[in-house]
Amino acid sequence: MKRLLKPLMTVLAVAALSIPAFAAEHDHGAAAAPASGKAAPVVGQAAPDFSATDIDGKPVKLADLKGKIVVLEWNNPECPFVVKHYDTKNMQKLQGEETAKADVVWLTINSSAEGQQGNLTDKTAKEYVTKSEAKPSHYILDPKGEIGTLYQAKTTPHMFVIGKDGVLAYAGAIDDNPTPRHEGVEGAKNYVRAAIEALEAGKKVEVATSQPYGCGVKYSTN
Amino acid sequence: MRELPLRPLKNLILPLLYICVMGVTPVFAQEAEGPHAQIRLVPERTEVKAGETIRIAVEQTLDEHWHTYWLNPGDSGVAPEIEWTLPEGFETADIIWPSPHKIPFGPLTNYGYEDHTILLQPLTLPANIPEGPLTLKAEVTVLVCKDICIPETSEHTITLNDGSNVDNTDVITAAEGMLPKAEGWPLTYSEANGNLSITLAPANPEAFSDIRIETLALIPEEWGLVDNSASVIASIDNNILTIRQKRGDRALGEIKELRTLITYTDTNGDYRGVSLMGSPSEEATQVAAPAAANSTPQTSFLTAIIFALLGGLVLNLMPCVFPVLSLKAISLSKMSEKEQAHAAASGFAYTAGVVLSFTLIAGILMALKSAGAQIGWGFQLQNPTVVYGLALLLFVIGLSLSGIFSLQGGFTNAGQKLASQSGLTGTFFTGVLATLVATPCTAPFMGAAMGYALTQSAFAGMAVFVALGFGLALPYLLLTLVPPLRKLLPKPGHWMETFKEFLAFPMYASAAWLVWVLAQQTGSMSVLAALLGFVAVAFAFWAWGRRPQQKTIRAFITLLIVVILGLGLTLGFGETFKKSNHHETPVASGMWENFTQARLDELLQGDEPVFVDMTAAWCITCKVNERVALDTPETRMIFTEKKIAALKGDWTNQNPEITKFLESHGRKGVPLYVFYGPRDSASGNRPAPAVLPQILTPAIVANAVQ
Repeated sequence: MKRLLKPLMTVLAVAALSIPAFAAEHDHGAAAAPASGKAAPVVGQAAPDFSATDIDGKPVKLADLKGKIVVLEWNNPECPFVVKHYDTKNMQKLQGEETAKADVVWLTINSSAEGQQGNLTDKTAKEYVTKSEAKPSHYILDPKGEIGTLYQAKTTPHMFVIGKDGVLAYAGAIDDNPTPRHEGVEGAKNYVRAAIEALEAGKKVEVATSQPYGCGVKYSTN
Repeated sequence: MRELPLRPLKNLILPLLYICVMGVTPVFAQEAEGPHAQIRLVPERTEVKAGETIRIAVEQTLDEHWHTYWLNPGDSGVAPEIEWTLPEGFETADIIWPSPHKIPFGPLTNYGYEDHTILLQPLTLPANIPEGPLTLKAEVTVLVCKDICIPETSEHTITLNDGSNVDNTDVITAAEGMLPKAEGWPLTYSEANGNLSITLAPANPEAFSDIRIETLALIPEEWGLVDNSASVIASIDNNILTIRQKRGDRALGEIKELRTLITYTDTNGDYRGVSLMGSPSEEATQVAAPAAANSTPQTSFLTAIIFALLGGLVLNLMPCVFPVLSLKAISLSKMSEKEQAHAAASGFAYTAGVVLSFTLIAGILMALKSAGAQIGWGFQLQNPTVVYGLALLLFVIGLSLSGIFSLQGGFTNAGQKLASQSGLTGTFFTGVLATLVATPCTAPFMGAAMGYALTQSAFAGMAVFVALGFGLALPYLLLTLVPPLRKLLPKPGHWMETFKEFLAFPMYASAAWLVWVLAQQTGSMSVLAALLGFVAVAFAFWAWGRRPQQKTIRAFITLLIVVILGLGLTLGFGETFKKSNHHETPVASGMWENFTQARLDELLQGDEPVFVDMTAAWCITCKVNERVALDTPETRMIFTEKKIAALKGDWTNQNPEITKFLESHGRKGVPLYVFYGPRDSASGNRPAPAVLPQILTPAIVANAVQ
């Protein structure tokens, strides 16, 4: 017993060296996302991971979706720009088209803080999804703005497309016509559809970034 | 045909009339009433001739606290849109915008207008125009926001040449007064350290005379070039205005020239804007790269290997490592000539233990680095739990040396055990132990070597770590391989026992130092807990070997020991897990100011020299340097005389700003001393920053700052 004590101690100590080091890096709890510094995710680099629960209570973790194309859509049901895409059924059509494919996952994220415009509960969000006939794979409430801050989401809508390898392939506006007018949907070039098409064909995404347009995400103003 | 009943019709007449009037109103009126924005289109004049250009004022009157947007709306929102229906050949040019304001909302920032604003739309008539009145129609959509946004559309009609001969020049002139001025100041821009840096160098020495620099804002025309919410650092020096702001998400290469506004409040209290454009600066645009390989001092692979070897050698002299080495060395002196083969085996076993441990550490560091962690050598000591663990380890080894309890295997009995397998295993683990106790100590030479190792490829990095391990193991290895060296060792005798007990004290000293480091990191409460933990552990180890033989009492005592040990460890480690923000930042003690990147940038904008000291509580070399060379009256006098601003960065706990600074100089650990010379009045530039050696003497410091 004594003979083994010192070697055992030293091995344990060396192991102990590494564990706290990992602990220091991942010392947040089961919260939605490590609300880290202000650097936005960069197209061409790994999209930041996050965990969340959708309005049906199902857990969603970005890292688990590797191997699929993931679309992130920032949503605020009352923002006129979101209303433009939803009243014209433009968003639902795109959601439906894409989620019909086995390899695309669509996450709609609502980062409106409590007391701000567009803030929803699980119940009211479900009503919204049903009423608008929206077709996301998951609708996620992010009232603390953790995922929004992680992605530096600025507008509703603000779109991100993540490739099957987990690399961010597109970040920016949904299309090239930033008007709030409903007629702007027609004839507009949809960057999200184009990005997904390019990813599936193994081609380069032509427009990888664009200026996002919409209302500001209603983060807490505290 | 039946007669229509008249009475119901009469009742309908007024409402019908009302509806007709309201429905027809847009055709006549040029004003449209919206809930929050009133838009009015006012032509410069209504009498126009062919080929002329007139301006049409787009007047916005907004409810209080509501705003509309500029050409670049900022983080969100859209600029107003005007859809014109014009007679043949008429053309509109781009809107001319008055100076916008920065409008923050939570973490976002927009550029736009509140209250009352006039945009100007130029309209050019063709070479031939028909006789008679000309009708222009406009559909204006503005997004007007407070905390929520509402798009408001209004229809407008303007009639020109209708004989009314209205002159609205005063409206246009008022609008022109709010436009930013195109001063033509020469502008160059570049990117450095994650900032967009703009330099304006006009010939006119009075150009900046009315600027209140603290109110200056940078408002670019293009999106994504700067972080709209970041603060701007602006300074005027020798009639050159330098502006810096954190970069945005968009690659700077996407624009060929920069078109931007700067706005400020002038010395009269008026809000002003200046429109500027310029090209990238002639100097190479530094692309900010994290592990900036291009700004690393030229540490070649060979140099790094040599430095690592030397560093490892010197590590043997550190109080943490010295006892381990000396005891190992002493045990060799007990060996006879016959056991040379076994001696060699022992040497290799020890070296293997050391080198493998270093490889393991290197592997962990590289895995962490590729996972994106901001690590440097010594980072493990930024974690209080690790610090306490190491302190306990050193304390326990000290106890063993003092004879409180005895540890078998490898440590002191190498001479007897060399022949047996367990002896070699023990020696191997002694090597592991030596590495472990070496980690808190940073030897000179190691800084540059570690910096190189952690920024290069896995192979190169591993090689440097192996060299470091080899350096650490080298003295013992040489002793085992070169018998004549052993003759230099003192002959065995009673003194060995006393020497062994003596070596406990460097161990205790190292443990005490680590407890002090712990105090810096988590506060004085943890010191009490740590020391009580020590007492519990000491008791446990002492009592273990002295338990009575009698079965039941032995069992009871064993239980008691385990409980006390458990309590002690829980108490000691418990305090370290408390995520405490308490750490003694070296607050302006004497000449030292606390380091932040913002403060350094600010100081570097000025002319005076700046000295940066990156240190940590657990860095012995740092503390020695400060004692010997930096915190001396002579050095203080030199600093005062030369007006050197002194910044001290405390890396005792994680600090990403300091890590970035270290990396930008090719370093991954502390200490780091950087001196920025004063600005040369002739050229207007500072000399390149000078990095001082890791071991300082007062002379080195004095020479560097001359």
